Amino acid sequence: MARAVSTRRKIGFTALAWAVGLLIFFPILWTVLTSFKTEADAVAIPPKFLFTPTLDNYATVQSRSNYGLHFMNSVILSLGSTLLALVIAIPAAWAMAFQPGRRTKDLLMWMLSTKMMPAVGVLVPIYLIFRDFGLLDTRLGLMIVLTLINLPIVIWMLFTYFREIPGEILEAARMDGASLWREIVHVLAPMAVPGIASTMLLNIILAWNEAFWTLNLTTSKAAPLTAFIASYSSPEGLFYAKLSAASTLAIAPILVLGWFSQKQLVRGLTFGAVK
Amino acid sequence: MATKASRATARLMVSPSVILLLLWMIVPLGMTIWFSLLRYNLLMPGTESFAGLENYRYFFSDPAFWPAIANTLTLVLGVLAITVGGGILLAILLDQPIFGQGIVRILVIAPFFVMPTVSALVWKNMMMNPVNGLFGWLARTFGMQPIDFFGQMPLFSIIVIVSWEWLPFATLILLTAMQSLDSEQLEAAEMDGARPLARFRHIVLPHLARAITVVILIETIFLLSIFAEILVTTNGGPGTATTNLPFLVYAQSLLQFDVGLGSAGGIFAVILANIVAIFLLRMIGKNIDA
Repeated sequence: MARAVSTRRKIGFTALAWAVGLLIFFPILWTVLTSFKTEADAVAIPPKFLFTPTLDNYATVQSRSNYGLHFMNSVILSLGSTLLALVIAIPAAWAMAFQPGRRTKDLLMWMLSTKMMPAVGVLVPIYLIFRDFGLLDTRLGLMIVLTLINLPIVIWMLFTYFREIPGEILEAARMDGASLWREIVHVLAPMAVPGIASTMLLNIILAWNEAFWTLNLTTSKAAPLTAFIASYSSPEGLFYAKLSAASTLAIAPILVLGWFSQKQLVRGLTFGAVK
Repeated sequence: MATKASRATARLMVSPSVILLLLWMIVPLGMTIWFSLLRYNLLMPGTESFAGLENYRYFFSDPAFWPAIANTLTLVLGVLAITVGGGILLAILLDQPIFGQGIVRILVIAPFFVMPTVSALVWKNMMMNPVNGLFGWLARTFGMQPIDFFGQMPLFSIIVIVSWEWLPFATLILLTAMQSLDSEQLEAAEMDGARPLARFRHIVLPHLARAITVVILIETIFLLSIFAEILVTTNGGPGTATTNLPFLVYAQSLLQFDVGLGSAGGIFAVILANIVAIFLLRMIGKNIDA
């Protein structure tokens, strides 16, 4: 009796949850579907759920505006800024996790506070510095900015992962007379790799989707997908299918990465305030 | 047991990050403060002169200032209400025993990974366009007049789009918090005859309180800076109907080239964000035992 009730309850909740889930996901699904339609099918009323799929939009998007260049910009910028941030952050997080001093906590909090500064507060000087140094619309310039805006989150995440590595292991290796280098390569690196990988994943996602600096500091050559897609805000003629194709390619890689990073998301974006 | 040498090494390892962040924060911020005290227009180079607090006076008396403040607050509070309210409901729903829980969770959090410019343009055109959009078609199917979302209620339309982007975040954080709730406590309450609403008010909500606060603070910091969604859909208009604080500063400095005025606005935005940040940092600080 109790069992029957709970099964019925489970089915009810399942139906409700799936309905809500599909509703929330629908705009993404619709974008992917539309990307395979002709422009005429894309604006058909009533909307077409069944249609003859075509890859034309993907070809058009590439031939009209060199989509590949902007895709590569996104790849280079998100990977490049992530690697750069890791190189800078790993030693810092390392030192703070294993050699904490009296000021370590304050330092960490200060680093996080830089992430909370609104970008618009430094828009003008950064824009002018970029203009004077010829960095506007360059990948180098944007990569530096993306590195700096995400550095606090990278340090923070690495710090939380490194702190989970037991310090006794270090002590033991030291007792055995391991040099600092051997200690890092053989003892710590294997334990640190998962944390570094998770941090990398989240940072790639954040950098890929960053849409303040990419929009303000690039125009064409160095524009990643966030800025390129914005060019569809003043379209000519029918463009839903093309917009969908461009969007699908822009979000697909990150959706896949994102689904793998649910846990890191909670850790990275709440700064450990929710566990 | 830290030796003097290892202390020095540690300091050396931390310093690149500290120096870079210090440069990134102090130099541009200092420049913004300095610019905000100058008469400085990019169209008239070489005519910069000290203006004292004049730019601040102009900024606060700009006809777009109060609309921008009102829009910023409406946007932040509207999105917070929808995402926190919806997030709590969704977290409770996803915490129930359901078939295919993992897949549903993936569907729900997906919008968070969509870049802002894509979200905004897909919603504006394919969902909300009164002629070709799905909502228009749905309205006509049910015999109603399609709503011209961006024509009649532009700010509300942006709130809807941004809420769709942030609902997953709130849901995910609150779901994580839900899962640490002791289920025995709930069962005991159920045995004692506590109705669902009472269980929610006296057990679930207090347990979620902390996570809700964190979601509110973090979202507020990001929502105060909403920019891309406005740029690609309305460009701040019609008039100033969707101009928020970041967009106003952007328009003043990069469209009207008034560096002094834009900088004053930037400083105002920094102060506003810092008020929220202080509370957030205090909460985070309690959780670090370094």
